[in-house]
Amino acid sequence: MSDTEELLRIEGIRKTFPGVVALDGVDFDLRRGEVHVLLGENGAGKSTLIKMLSGAHRPDAGRVLVDGEEVRIHDAQDAERLGIATIYQEFNLVPDLSVAENIFLGRQPRRFGMIDRKRTEADAAELLERVGLSVSPRARVRELGIARLQMVEIAKALSLDARVLIMDEPTAVLTSGEVDRLFTIVRRLREDGVGIVFITHHLEEIAALGDRVTVIRDGRSVGQVPAATPRDELVRLMVGRSIDQQYPRERTDAGAALLTVEGLTRDGVFHDVSFQVRAGEVVGVAGLVGAGRTEVARAVFGADPYDSGTVHVSGARLRRHDVNAAMAAGIGLVPEDRKGQGLVLDASVAENLGLVTLRAATRGGLVDRKAQRAAAARVAERLGVRMAGLGQRVRTLSGGNQQKVVIGKWLLANTKVLILDEPTRGIDVGAKVEIYQLINELTAGGAAVLMISSDLPEVLGMSDRVLVMAQGRMVGELPASAATQDSVMALAVSTPTSNEAATEVEAARGH
Amino acid sequence: MATDTLKSAARSGGLRRLLLDNGALTALIALVIAMSALSGDFLTADNLLNVGVQAAVTAILAFGATFVIVSAGIDLSVGSVAALSATVLAWTATSHGIPVVLAVVLAIATGVACGLVNGFLISYGKLPPFIATLAMLSVGRGLSLVISQGSPIAFPDSVSHLGDTLGGWLPVPVLVMVVMGLLTALVLGRTYIGRSMYAIGGNEEAARLSGLRVRRQKLAIYALSGLFAAAAGIVLASRLSSAQPQAATGYELDAIAAVVIGGASLAGGTGGASGTLVGALILAVLRNGLNLLSVSAFWQQVVIGVVIALAVLLDTVRRRAGAGTVAAGTGAGGGRGRQAVTYVLAAVVAAALVGAMSFLHGGASSTTSKVGLSLSTMNNPFFVQIRAGAQAEARQLGVDLTVTDAQNDASQQANQLQNFTSEGLGAIIVNPVDSDAAGPSVRSANKARIPVIAVDRGVHKADTAALVASDNIEGGELAARTLAEKLGGKGSIVVLQGQAGTSASRERGAGFAEGLKAYPGIKVVAEQPADFDRTKGLDVMTNLLQAHPDVQGVFAENDEMALGAIKALGSRAGTSVSVVGFDGTPDGLAAVKAGTLYASVAQQPTELGRIAVRNALRAAEGKAVDKTVKVPVKVVTKANAAGFTG
Repeated sequence: MSDTEELLRIEGIRKTFPGVVALDGVDFDLRRGEVHVLLGENGAGKSTLIKMLSGAHRPDAGRVLVDGEEVRIHDAQDAERLGIATIYQEFNLVPDLSVAENIFLGRQPRRFGMIDRKRTEADAAELLERVGLSVSPRARVRELGIARLQMVEIAKALSLDARVLIMDEPTAVLTSGEVDRLFTIVRRLREDGVGIVFITHHLEEIAALGDRVTVIRDGRSVGQVPAATPRDELVRLMVGRSIDQQYPRERTDAGAALLTVEGLTRDGVFHDVSFQVRAGEVVGVAGLVGAGRTEVARAVFGADPYDSGTVHVSGARLRRHDVNAAMAAGIGLVPEDRKGQGLVLDASVAENLGLVTLRAATRGGLVDRKAQRAAAARVAERLGVRMAGLGQRVRTLSGGNQQKVVIGKWLLANTKVLILDEPTRGIDVGAKVEIYQLINELTAGGAAVLMISSDLPEVLGMSDRVLVMAQGRMVGELPASAATQDSVMALAVSTPTSNEAATEVEAARGH
Repeated sequence: MATDTLKSAARSGGLRRLLLDNGALTALIALVIAMSALSGDFLTADNLLNVGVQAAVTAILAFGATFVIVSAGIDLSVGSVAALSATVLAWTATSHGIPVVLAVVLAIATGVACGLVNGFLISYGKLPPFIATLAMLSVGRGLSLVISQGSPIAFPDSVSHLGDTLGGWLPVPVLVMVVMGLLTALVLGRTYIGRSMYAIGGNEEAARLSGLRVRRQKLAIYALSGLFAAAAGIVLASRLSSAQPQAATGYELDAIAAVVIGGASLAGGTGGASGTLVGALILAVLRNGLNLLSVSAFWQQVVIGVVIALAVLLDTVRRRAGAGTVAAGTGAGGGRGRQAVTYVLAAVVAAALVGAMSFLHGGASSTTSKVGLSLSTMNNPFFVQIRAGAQAEARQLGVDLTVTDAQNDASQQANQLQNFTSEGLGAIIVNPVDSDAAGPSVRSANKARIPVIAVDRGVHKADTAALVASDNIEGGELAARTLAEKLGGKGSIVVLQGQAGTSASRERGAGFAEGLKAYPGIKVVAEQPADFDRTKGLDVMTNLLQAHPDVQGVFAENDEMALGAIKALGSRAGTSVSVVGFDGTPDGLAAVKAGTLYASVAQQPTELGRIAVRNALRAAEGKAVDKTVKVPVKVVTKANAAGFTG
């Protein structure tokens, strides 16, 4: 490779935070027109690395070279000037501004000192065309689904003439159709000569899209390999050992029905949803994003109301829209949005683990904090939460360890029916397997697990039965033996026969 | 959480860690060192107890606010609720003869009820806390004015002992503060509701989905805040021996400042009792120290603002430099850098303060006769002129005069008088915010054998060597006569009243009503308060003109409101409508000369100040002074305006 082809080079980068070495000698390079995948477990240092490139962090040691010249990136403006754009998992968009305004935020074309709205919109339309997004430049960003938001982010990056595009787990929140569309766009950008740093946990995406792979483990770059490297080898590099089985489900005999849902309906959202989960069973719920799975789970747990239908736990009917009744009956919910709904991010590991049992640990208004702490220590040990101590703030844990904390608080409460909503989203392979093993332990102990997931191999690999939802309805149930990717997807994209308001709502969201 | 951090810190590394983990404490220590270095009067047992007493009310309010702020809310109503509770206590016990114990229970219940209403509006009515408590701020203040009819009510003696000392040295307010502080620490650290506050403040949705009954907890949280506000109100009123409907105005901001200085975030989830106490102490030490150092009242506010910003800045910088990833310090790396940052910042704060003090302090002379003057407010030219007269006279006589501004707050005035007393001044001049409320502080000056001169308003139930005043009642009567005669004995007029509950407003109003009795043809069609304020005078007059377009006369209880009314009247002022003001301020006199203001009942504020200082010096030297010195009032009209100087 000649030097002109090299856009970016990182040499021996080191970064420490108090008490933690985040990066310790990372090398990386990026050429024009390639997709370079950055692979590593959560907490390995990928995020820290890309934050160096976007100017959010500054390295303690090492060099960053752009076009062969050493540069210092102090802030977002520096990164922008160097043509480096980053698309984070949490989008940086203003919900109440239009698509065009978001794309050109702070840089709108002006005429006579006033914002030239026409040109803004025309320019935006051109960029949207380039990323293959058919949405009006005047649409409010708030009204767009997650896949479209991502496209808007990419359009924004293109508007900056980015030569280096960093994408942090762009596929984590997309359905498979959306992923295909994203890949098409990424390939087109690659042909245009953009260098792309692509972070993903989905190993199959590497072969499909990537050119080269750099693996990071414990803050060090442990290898650079071609994208065609076999999966097992990638996993071995990433976790430092080989993982025998990705989905280690151990089936237990199903017992009596613990959770029975009948005819659950919320007008316009989900309709006539019925299902059972028995003791010792893992029931997977598959479906497209927006099929109403999360809404059903929240309604069952009492977090949101429903209009008709019933929920029974061990034969006793639950009060509608009452989280405490659901909890008393033994239901627990690990919500989809871990940070927004599952954790108090600035509280300690111990505080978070003790949240559900806080009331039970209270005598005469006083909390037995010693017992709470002991219980937290016990469960953290059992789950293998990697942390500096029980006092560490949850915000600073990696995604996998954060998820273990969310699950842990329900373990402490002796939950009988655990609802997991996207339990392994954004979690690395090693931590995933640990969470699967935890599910095994739960069902072995006689608990029931309802697992909503958009990761189809996971649903197929871990479930004893698979429920499929489409457009707010339960469209099918398959035993594990009969469920394949094709049979589940065929159901997931089917249109339920009875047609009601729900269909329109879902169509309007149109992913 | 802050409490955790503090405890584990104390265990693992002693004082140094404690300081590192608590920027506010470092700032407090720096302040105390700076004050001790600058003023010999600061570091005495008496004065430190004064600081405690002066911090007590803010601290108790702030403890209540800590609950709310930790749970990511805000409570703007605590000052009003404090005043309302105290008023309820005094009203039920004094005016209705209800047993004092029951009255105290009723007062506390009032506070809790206000808090419950706040909590209900917020958790069930879905109002933003800012709006709900802003509404309660207004309602609480209004109700306390309604109940008290605008006048202070004497506090039952048995409750007033709360403002005294135990065993002759331990002030009860300090004791109450400590007890409430321990209670706060217990609630925050150990109880279900306390732990819920952190969870709700950190992430309300996660708390709800973990089974915390968020709405019910919020009710309880605001009720607790109301309870603490009631306690603060009782302590405040017992110090002043009277329940003031206007007491604790603006204290909600002090309380919030104390909580935030103490390390809490307005975004919720962090904060603790010890931090809040430190925050309240920082504010009290500052006010006390600046008094002792005779820093100009205007500069005091500037310095207080700067220190609030610096204290929070120090904490933010420390946090960013330090304990980033780990809640309870475990990392050894970076410790030295963090330490350096903290000490550098502490040094900067201290240096800035010392610099500011010596700069501001530079002009003070070193004569033996020191006199303190506590003015009720400097928001009004009348009082500024009193100060000007006093300062001119002091310069002439070679008296070292310290002037403080109580900002119309009786309790702040009590603090200032207490500071004067502990400084051991030769004499004290007080221009009381309220005659009843100044009583206890003047009594303690009496005890210390420091002569007190009252200026403009008297002090009740305490000895003053002299009262230098112009007669407000007589002035009111003069105003009535002047206006009535101008209108030829008949016509309809409106009255703009001063701030409800102030003696000036009461006396001028009473005098005016008395004077009007001689003119049955004059009809008062409206009486509305405009708080002695020019802008409010303009607004109120504009509104009144809508209802009574045909008025012929206006009596405003001071010139500021009169000038506002003239603005509202436009070209009608001085032509079809005659306006009579009060005070004879320079602006007022200019308006008289211009013809827009028909007359002003002029006091001679500069004269008041001069005479007060002259008498204070005589009293300090042990010479006899007259019990009352009347400074004449005169009606100034265009005819005699030219020859009149204030």
